[in-house]
Parts: sequence; C-alpha cells; structure tokens
Amino acid sequence: MKMFSISHKTAFVVDHCPYMAESCRQQVEFDMLTKNRPQGVIPLAPVSKSLWTCAVECSMEYCRILYDIYPTRKLVNFIVSDSEFHILNSWNQADQSTQELMAALAAVGPPNPHEDPECCSILHGLMAAVESLCKITEYQHEARTTLMDKADRVSNRGRIICITNAKSDTHVRMLEDYVQETIQEQNKLAISSDRLMQIQQCELVLIHTYPFGEETLVSDRPKKEISPVLTSEVHSVRAGRHLASKLNILVQQHFDLASTTITNIPMKEEQHANTSANYDVELLHHRDAHMEFIKSGDLHPAGSTSRDSGLKETVTLKWCTPRTNSVELHFCTGAYRISPVDVNSRPSSCLTNFLLNGRSVLLEQPRKSGSKVISHMLSSHGGEIFLHVLNCTRSTLEDPPSISEGCGGRVTDYRITDFGEFMRENRLTPFPDVQGSEVAGKVPLERAKRQLERHTRYWPMIISQTTIFNMQAVVPLASLIVKESLTEEDVLTCQKTIYNLVDMERKNDPLPISTVGTRGKGPKRDEQYRIMWNELETLVRTHMGSSERHQRVLDCVLACRSKPPEEEDRKKRGRKREDREDKGEKNGKDSESERSWQESERLKAALERDREELAEAEVIKDSPDSPEPLNKKPRLEVEDVQPAEKAKGPVSLLTMWTNRINTANSRKHQEFAGRVNSVNNKAELYQHLKDENGMDPHENGKAMR
Amino acid sequence: LVSRPPAMPTVVLMDVSLSMTRPVQLDGTEEFQRKNLAVHGLTMLFEHMATNYRLEFTALVAFSSLWELMVPFTRDYNTLQEALNNLEDYDKTCLEPALQGVSNIVQQEWGSTCPCQVVLVTDGSLGIGRGSLRHSLSTIKHRSEDKKFPLPFPFPAKLYIMCIANAEELQNSDTLDNLEQLLSLNGGEGQIFTVEGPLKLIDQAYTPFHAVLRCGNLSSDVQVFPRPEPVIMDEEVDPAPRTILTDLEIVGFIEIGDISSPPVLSRHLVLPIAVNKDVDEMGTGTTDETEEENSANQMAGKSPNFCVLLHGSLKVEGMVALVQLGPEWYGMLYSQADSKKKSNLMMSLFEPGPEPLPWLGKVSQLGPTSDAKENPYGEDDSKSPFPLQPKSKRSYAQNVTVWIKPSGLQTDVQKILRNARKLPEKTQTFYKELNRLRKAALAFGFWDLLKGVADLLERECTLLPDTAHPDAAFQLSHAAQQLKLASTGDSQYAAFDHNITPMLTDFSGSGSSDRDRM
Repeated sequence: MKMFSISHKTAFVVDHCPYMAESCRQQVEFDMLTKNRPQGVIPLAPVSKSLWTCAVECSMEYCRILYDIYPTRKLVNFIVSDSEFHILNSWNQADQSTQELMAALAAVGPPNPHEDPECCSILHGLMAAVESLCKITEYQHEARTTLMDKADRVSNRGRIICITNAKSDTHVRMLEDYVQETIQEQNKLAISSDRLMQIQQCELVLIHTYPFGEETLVSDRPKKEISPVLTSEVHSVRAGRHLASKLNILVQQHFDLASTTITNIPMKEEQHANTSANYDVELLHHRDAHMEFIKSGDLHPAGSTSRDSGLKETVTLKWCTPRTNSVELHFCTGAYRISPVDVNSRPSSCLTNFLLNGRSVLLEQPRKSGSKVISHMLSSHGGEIFLHVLNCTRSTLEDPPSISEGCGGRVTDYRITDFGEFMRENRLTPFPDVQGSEVAGKVPLERAKRQLERHTRYWPMIISQTTIFNMQAVVPLASLIVKESLTEEDVLTCQKTIYNLVDMERKNDPLPISTVGTRGKGPKRDEQYRIMWNELETLVRTHMGSSERHQRVLDCVLACRSKPPEEEDRKKRGRKREDREDKGEKNGKDSESERSWQESERLKAALERDREELAEAEVIKDSPDSPEPLNKKPRLEVEDVQPAEKAKGPVSLLTMWTNRINTANSRKHQEFAGRVNSVNNKAELYQHLKDENGMDPHENGKAMR
Repeated sequence: LVSRPPAMPTVVLMDVSLSMTRPVQLDGTEEFQRKNLAVHGLTMLFEHMATNYRLEFTALVAFSSLWELMVPFTRDYNTLQEALNNLEDYDKTCLEPALQGVSNIVQQEWGSTCPCQVVLVTDGSLGIGRGSLRHSLSTIKHRSEDKKFPLPFPFPAKLYIMCIANAEELQNSDTLDNLEQLLSLNGGEGQIFTVEGPLKLIDQAYTPFHAVLRCGNLSSDVQVFPRPEPVIMDEEVDPAPRTILTDLEIVGFIEIGDISSPPVLSRHLVLPIAVNKDVDEMGTGTTDETEEENSANQMAGKSPNFCVLLHGSLKVEGMVALVQLGPEWYGMLYSQADSKKKSNLMMSLFEPGPEPLPWLGKVSQLGPTSDAKENPYGEDDSKSPFPLQPKSKRSYAQNVTVWIKPSGLQTDVQKILRNARKLPEKTQTFYKELNRLRKAALAFGFWDLLKGVADLLERECTLLPDTAHPDAAFQLSHAAQQLKLASTGDSQYAAFDHNITPMLTDFSGSGSSDRDRM
C-alpha cells in the first residue's frame, strides 16, 4: 500500500438529523436474570439503540480496528452533520484515537428529534468532508518539504464514508453529484493555497441505514466511476449488527486486512475453575500475513471457513501451548499488528492478556495433506501484539559448512569472553529524537560508531597475541583509555595502574606471556616486561590524540618504562646470540650499544638508586600494592641524567620536551590539597568513594566496569 | 577447506525433443548434435558450481511433450552430470507444461518466497501448432483462472534461456520474439544467451558477492551467500532498486530477547574469505594449483579471523550485531546453529527504512549506553531499554467499551450489578464500572441505557436485605440519580470527562478503608 493511497485519509460523515434519533428496532435485554435472585422480580424492559447510536458505535469500531493495526499514517477525520457540520477532530496524528473521538461525540450528543427536519441535511457534512480532504496532513507536508522541487509528486487521495438515511436512489444520485461538484469547486480553491491540495482521487462510500423491519428505499450498487476523480458505491443495510458486520467487511477491504482464527485456546472455565475448555479467537491483521497461503493456493485449507456473506474468510491456525520461556531468534518473514474482532469478549481478552504479559505463542497450520507445520507466532512488543510469519519451507541455507571449517576456524584461543564484554559495553540504547541534533554531530548512531572505532584501535583477537589484556592489573587503564574524554580522576587511575606495573616489574612478578609457538620456557622475565610495556605503549599511543589527558597517560607510560634498551640487549646477548636476527628493530644498535654500555650502566645505577629511594619512601607512605603518584622530584632527577644518552632511550623528543614543560610548571603550581592536609605525610585517597558506597574502589577490580 | 558457496537454487530445464539432435555446422570440425553442445555447456556450468558454489541446490528437468524430474534438488553434481549424460531423445517441444512442472517442483521444495534461477536449454525450435510456445502465448489472455500460464512464477525467479542456435537461425524465425515475450512475462527477470552462452551465464548469474565486514577497526573479508538481491521499495516517488553496500559496518549490539524475532527480507551466510593476492596473480593453469590452494586454505584456517571471533561471542552472549547495509538500511548478524556442532555467522536484512522495527524505534536514534545518564541495562543487567513503548495504547490493552454484540453490553451491566450487591466493600470498583458505562453511553448517544441502568439500581436498592449496610442504599440511590441527570444531556451532568464520585456518608468508615485498599 503506497503511503499516500486512498486510505491515507478517511473522512467519516455521520448523519445527525432528527430521523437518526429513531429506534433501530432491535432490542437489547440488559436486565439479565441471574441466580440467587428473589423470585417474582419482573425484569426491566429491554432498551433499543437509535439509528444514531448504531452508526456511531459501528464507526468507532471501524476506527478501533484501524488504529490498532495502523497506529500512524492512516488518518480519520470525523464529521457529523445536522443543520450545520461539526468537525470532531483534525488530521493531526495527536487527534487520532478513539478516546478523542468518543469525547467529542459525547459533546455532540444524540440527534434532537424535535429539530426542524427542513434545516437539517447530510450535505453540510459532505461539503465539510471534501474541504477536509483538501487539507494537507502532517505526513503530506513532510513529504512535500523533503521532496522540494518534486513536491507536486506527493499525491492527495482520500475516502469519504457517509452513514445516512437516504430517501431514494434519486436522493443518492443527488448526494453523489453534490460531492462531485464540491470537489471541483474545492480543487479550484486548492490551487492557490499552500495548506490545501487538490483531490486527485476520491472514493465515496455511501451507507444507507434503516430500522429493522422496514423495506429499504435505496438499492445496493457496486463501485462505479462518477468522474475521473470520484468513484462511488452504495450499501443499503439495516441498523444494528448488520451495519456492524458491513463496516467490519469494509475496514478489511479498505485497509487490506485479513482474518485469522486462533483455535484450540485452552482457557479455564469461569464457573468451574478446575476445568478448561478450548476457545477460538478471531484476529484481523494485514493480509500479507497470509501471503504464503495465497500464493500456494492453500487459502482454503480444511480448517478455513466461509461465513456470513461469503466475503468474509478466515484462516484457522491452531494454538500450540508454549513450553519454555527461552528466547529464540526465529526466522520470521513478516510481523503484522493485530486487532481482535471481539475485543472485550472473554476469550479475546484472555489471549491478549497472555501475550501482553510477555509470552509468545506458536501457531500451527493444518495442511491439506494432513501434515502439520508451525507457520506463525503471536508475540507482543511494548504493548503491541504482532502476528509473526515464520518461514516454514525448506531453506537453501541448510547444512552449510561450520564456521570452524573456514578462515580462522582452526584458531582456538580467540578472546571470546573479552569480546563478549566489549559487545555489552557497546550495546545500543534509544535516545529521544531532539531537533537539531544532526548539526551538532550528535546523531546517536554516529556516536555509537565512533565509540566502536575508539574501542577497537588496539584489540588483539587472540589470547596468545596479547599480554596486557590477560593481566587483571591493566584492566583499570584499558577500560578508561578508550573513553572519549578522561576526568582528572581517570588520569590518576591510569597512572596508578602504570605505577603498579612498575612495582610488579621491580618485584619481578611473573607475567601471563603466552608460550604458544615458542620452544622451551619462553622469554625471560625482563624480556616479558619489555613485551608488556611495548604493548601497553601501543594501546595508549592509539589514543594519545584524543585529549591532553590521554597524552598525559602516554607520557606516564613512557616515563615509567624508560629503562634503556641497551641493558636489555646486553642481557639478551649474554643469553642467546642467535636471538638477534629475530629482533630486527634492535639490529644496528648492537655495535653502538657496545660502546655506550658502560655509560648506560652508570646511568641505570643512578636510576635504580632513585627508584629504590622512592620505593623506600613508599613503603613508609602507603601499601606496596598502590604506589603513590610519582613525585615530581625523582622525575626531575631522571630528567637531569638523561641528556647523556638522548635519542637512544625510548623517550621521544616530544616527551622530553613535555616533561620539561611540566617540570617547569610544577615549580609554579600550588601544592596538592592532599599533601597540604596530610597527617604524617599520609593522605587518604578517594575518601568520597568510601562515603558513597563503602567500598575500596581498588578491590572492585573488574566488577567496576 | 574454505568453502565458497552459492546463490540460490537452480532448476535446469533441458529440451530433449528430437530437434535437439539436429547437427550444428561448425567450420572444419566434425559434426556435433545440438544436444552435445548443450550437454557440454551444462557440464561447464556444473563444474563451475561444483567448485565455486558447493552449497547450491540444483535440479534437472527434461522435457519434450512431457516433462520429467530427472534429478531432484541436490548438491551432488556427479549425479546431475550422470543424468545429463544419459538423457534420451523424445518427441516434440511443449514448453508450457514443462514450465508449469518447474513451478510446482520449486514451490513444493522451497515455497513461494525463495528466489530461484531457472536455466532453460533449448535449440530454439519451440514447436508448431497446439502445445507450441507460439500457441501458448497467443492464447494467454483468454485463460480461465485454473489454466493460467505458469509465468510469472509465484516465487521470485530469474529465467536464463540458453538457446543452442546461432543468431542467423534465430533471425529467420519468430523464436527470439517468443522467448523475449517469455522473459517479459517473468517481469523481465532473466536473459537470453546464444551458442556461446554458458560462460556468460556463469559470469552473470553465478558471481559471488564479496564484502568487508567492519566493527570499528576490526574487519574481515567476507562472502555473503546467497547473493543479496536488489530491493525495490513500494514508495510513492522514484522507486529505485537498492543494493547493499560492499562495506558492511557494525553499529552496535543488542540482546536477542530485545531484538525479538524481527521480520526480515532475507537471510544470508557470512563466510570469511582469505583474499590471497599471490594465488590470484599466479592465475590458473599451473599443475599444482589445487595443492597450493589447499595450503593457502590451511594457512587461512590458522590465522585469526574477526568473523570467527564475532560469531563466537554472539553465540555465547546471546546477542546480535546491528549492521548498516546502506543509507537508512540495516540488518543483523547472529550465530545460527544448524546442529549441535555446526554453527555459522548469519546476516538477515531488515526492510529498508529509518525504522524497520517499531520496538527499536528509529535506528539513527540508537546510541552508546555510555552516553546515557544512567545505564539503561541496570548495573546488574537486570533491565532493558527495549521494547520501546508506543505513544498510545492499542484497544486490547486499555479496556475499551464495545456494545455491538448484546453480550458486551450485558457483561458491563452485570459487572455493575455484581459490585452493587457488595456495597460498601466494592464502592471503588462499582463506581469505576459505572463511570465506564456512563462514558460510553454518552459517546454513543445511548441515553436510554443510562435511564435503564438508573432504574436497575433503584430496584436493587429496594431489594436490599435487612442485613445490608446502610451505606449501600445511599450509594445506590446516589448513583441512580446521577445517571438520570446525565441522561438528560444537561451539560452540567453529561460532561464526558466528569466522573460520578461516591457519596460521602456518615457510615463511610468502611467505605474509606475500601478506598485505601483499592
């Protein structure tokens, strides 16, 4: 169905003239005799609906079904006509609900039987309906605005459903002619207006309704073309249930609906709670849910019935009691909103409540051959019930080779759990649609993509390719560094993580280095740390451009790993000479390093001394596991010694320069509040966290994420 | 090892009429029957598919004045080849029943939604008189519903016609016109090839779809199988076919329970492929080609691939990855288990558009959870921001009043009466039901009902047993009086938004406690 088809706009015109106050002459008993009533009470006389009441409740039912199945984009404009017209709502989406219409109808009230019939006419309403069809809807306006120069290609079609009591066939023809003339007039007016559109096509559905037991004065007539713009059809129906079933058929025709009857629904008996009987519930939905039946010619399977006029067909599907509540991803080729035909009957509300409570029901299709197949599923999403169409034919994708037989299939140490964690962190969530968000580059989906990009800048896929992601100690830094922006506290946490690593290295703690693919025991401890630092630097380096604070984390890594490589080289050479060709990066430095070794050894000794001093200080100051942020002072001394070997260390020129600047700044800056307020040079960190959740954030480890 | 699977099921419809035994004149070579040429062409096709599309299902149908399913849908190309080699010669060409046969075979096997390729192989002499294609086409407009021409097929189909005749032969008859008409009956889906057809057909219909699957900086070269077909949306202005991008970008992740069996246009396997440039550049023809390919495949099996990682985690976590297929077009990636041991990375395509699933809302409005003030999934993963609640409730979720059937009205009146008899305990429910009836009666202009129910309540009042709480009588007559006032249509009492409230009485001790409970 195209967006701006005839069913985009439906104008209801209901006759409110004095004769509509007449009784429909079908009585409704409302004083039902019930058990444990005193004997001899005479029931009250039954009531009878007026033609007006019948017309209104049937049109409300039409709207109810329409709004259930098309909550948006299919619009109704409700008009009543007596000595003038009353427009009860607008095309605005906000006005599209049965509650709105009911409230407006209550304000109109039933027709006044004492009003002068000469002043009253359905023509007022028909004119208002044509005028209203010329009015542009929000959706048409939006489409025209987006199409700009092609705006004229947005079409304007609509339908008028008029429920009235006509006098004769001639009277009906007069009504048709009147609508035709009004369209011509209004189309002329519409040319010169921005808010109006010419009617390109209009379908007039005239429903003549009359009391039970009377002869009709108007004959039925199928759709015929009055003019290229207007078609008209006439339905002559008795008020009451006949009118109701007519409108039920019409709403199905007008909106491409079809009917499915769910059969065999087990339900507890109202009177005897321990027994259960099986019930049927009829649902309406878009007819595409039956596509497979229509195409295969299976539309009239054994279970389907033809009722009433023969126009109404329903496909019967059998309820399958759900066994588990497990979430499964079904192969589903369509999902269509439903509306129960008898919305407040007990079986219907039992079914809908069951579904609204979150259960899904599979439906079985009885086939000609007698075989059974699960063809549909009923399921609710956010308070809306959908009929899902399941694929029940053989799949061309059956029996494909397993993913383990393809590329990368032989690899066994993928970081499955870590990537699962990554997926959880990158789950999506809906954000309200704020106008102008596109401009600010804040489209939520774009931000989601950017986050994925940041989180994957350095992401080794297998366990044996990484050291740092196998270390619990790196977790705080690794989860923070990928953030778009860091707080001062984040930087502090990262620095702490790094100092902690320094400490581990000093204590010669073992690292979870993979020995896969290497012979023997794998690399020596210092080599392990070199690998670890390299990897950490790689991770942090990919984020250094994100912000100044990210850069500071990198600076910290570089400062802390500034052990001269020559020392490592020497040790390595001492251990295994043949190792040399593997480490291409180190080649060429070897001869040079021979010379500078003594110098660097001296340097190292100085560094080590400093570090030891610092460590000693720490032991007094804090627990060994969480070294305090590096003092500026020792760093300053390192700085002073370093120029001797300049470019040879892993400290880049940029870092050195930054360090220098920082040092200069640090001389000017105010002392930390913590240090100022410390008792015996001891300041408690993260006091506020303890107040908030009574936990030491450090011990939280991974759970913190 | 690295499988390169296919596109969609194929039916080969082979003409085995006598005319296929006519010789073809080829310069300076020995004489061939057209049939030999056709078999040779199909052999090439089968060989191509056996190497490149091992997952493809193919069936072989032979036809003359009758048709026969020689080989049902299979992946076993040897069986197909064998059947092809053993075809016998029969009488004349009657295409219509054969096409009907193909239609039935495909629908039985795959239903009417699965796209298929039909390869018709014929010599271009399409019969004379009754049963000829010419005759079928000329009567096409005068058919009854049960004798409709089989084209267009009820399933999406591409019709490839391999015509074993040279251009000159075709020009001298109306064969080409008739065949073209056949194609247009099939909605223009397909193509006609002449003698040199097979290679072109392979190029046209059996080229694999290659793409790059990305998630931020992680990526993998993949083959998407079956080849995604272009989609045309039934929109008002300029419907143009939309094709999926060859750069498939993951935008984020969602729990399986939250995406909740969404409707999809089609499903595809996403198979990681090793783009091995060395092998490509070497070209074909070297003797140890297969060996090298094998070792290349083994290498590929051992180097980590993002698809395998993604698949593993999706499977373990029970999640799907949302993937962007084009502008305002999305799909999902998930793990699909075929059996206990075999599972695969699958991609399903949603209908193009900004909001393919109402319960997710606009896809462009989905963003990272870290942007939300509070984690929408809860700190312990106990919550979910999905499904999105629609702005308005559907009729079945809001206790609407429908009195079209008398039983609807009777039930509503009974509810009021039941509560009336349990006054004052049920004061709140009594008035709730009373007000619901009042609202509906006012909207439907059904004032007689208001009077009727008022009478009913007054009678209940007179029938109250001596043991009844005195409040009951007061509430009943109060309610009856209010309904009567409403039934006059007096704007003071008949306002839709007005509610009848319980009468405040001196005995309302029990009434108010009831109110607290409600």
